[in-house]
Amino acid sequence: MPVWQSIYEELKDQNFELISAAQDTGGEAKAGPIFDRAEVSYTAIVDVNHTISSLFNLVNVPSGVWINEEGRIVRIDEGTYTKSAVVLGNTIGHDGYVPALRDWIAKGDRSAFIMSPDEVVSNIRPRVADEELAEATFKLANYFFAMGDMESANAYWDKTQVLNPDSWNFHRQDWSFLAPAETTKNFLGKVNALTKPYYAPMDKLPEGSE
Amino acid sequence: MGLAAVLFTSGADAAGTTVLYNDQIIAIDEVLSSPTDLWVSPEDLTRINGFVLKPEGACLEELCIPISQSEDSDLFVRRDGKGWINVTELARMVQQPFLSDTDAAVWSFGAIPLVRRPFLESAIAPDFALTDRKGKVVRLSDFRGKKVLIMTWASW
Repeated sequence: MPVWQSIYEELKDQNFELISAAQDTGGEAKAGPIFDRAEVSYTAIVDVNHTISSLFNLVNVPSGVWINEEGRIVRIDEGTYTKSAVVLGNTIGHDGYVPALRDWIAKGDRSAFIMSPDEVVSNIRPRVADEELAEATFKLANYFFAMGDMESANAYWDKTQVLNPDSWNFHRQDWSFLAPAETTKNFLGKVNALTKPYYAPMDKLPEGSE
Repeated sequence: MGLAAVLFTSGADAAGTTVLYNDQIIAIDEVLSSPTDLWVSPEDLTRINGFVLKPEGACLEELCIPISQSEDSDLFVRRDGKGWINVTELARMVQQPFLSDTDAAVWSFGAIPLVRRPFLESAIAPDFALTDRKGKVVRLSDFRGKKVLIMTWASW
């Protein structure tokens, strides 16, 4: 996150805003200190219901959505990594992501790295009926968590993950309330069992040069 | 579903029902409820999901679900002169997912597909209202005229 603070400092005077939303049901107690340590000056939200992921069909963190001056999405559902890396055998991020962002901020609609509405629509992750029900189920679980009823929260988090087994956010949020060793074991187990990429492949980006 | 109207007769005073929709927690004082259906006053319907009861039906902007208010139906009943709308039947009609926890009297509603169409079909960013760490309500529409990168992350 300190990296994004410096990118923000560089771009903020070019009619640009960065909205960072922590997908943290545990709330300010969990996410707040991390925002504080990064000394962020951009818009910082602790999004306990994962509303941003829910609205934009995101299943992973970190993920990014680019929105132009008219409120139209020009890129969606990509890992906001500043460098590509291989993590547990999965390539995540792209070296060209931040250069592409700079290009778009500078050139707007003339940037070669933005997508047409049709391209964006094809990159929106579709949801079947069960996956839509998972969104409502997750919010019910979070309601019980906020009321201090962990038994009910856990029951509905479990249902959420059955309804949408492809959302890493749902799994990892639930596992975050387990003992650390258990969290790691669950995460590695699911990553090692992957049959599809952890993130959707990224395209229409420059070769990273920085 | 037609039987629901007779099943809930003793529930008219059921207090403390909670509805979750669109990141809001809406407390409803008075409902008629059965295990499968939730009936609310027209005013509470609007508080829940923005639908407004008009002579032509329950309307959300240009979408109107026709509702006859002169006779009882799966969508509307009159009890002691007061009208009640079946918010769950309305959800079924617009293919809005929902579930309930009967013990806690909490109903959680998912997205209304029609509301999602500009996003899913035309890549229009859905608006939201979330409170930032300074306590200020942030809406995406506040940033119209700027380029915006929305980024998610998590502590876990």
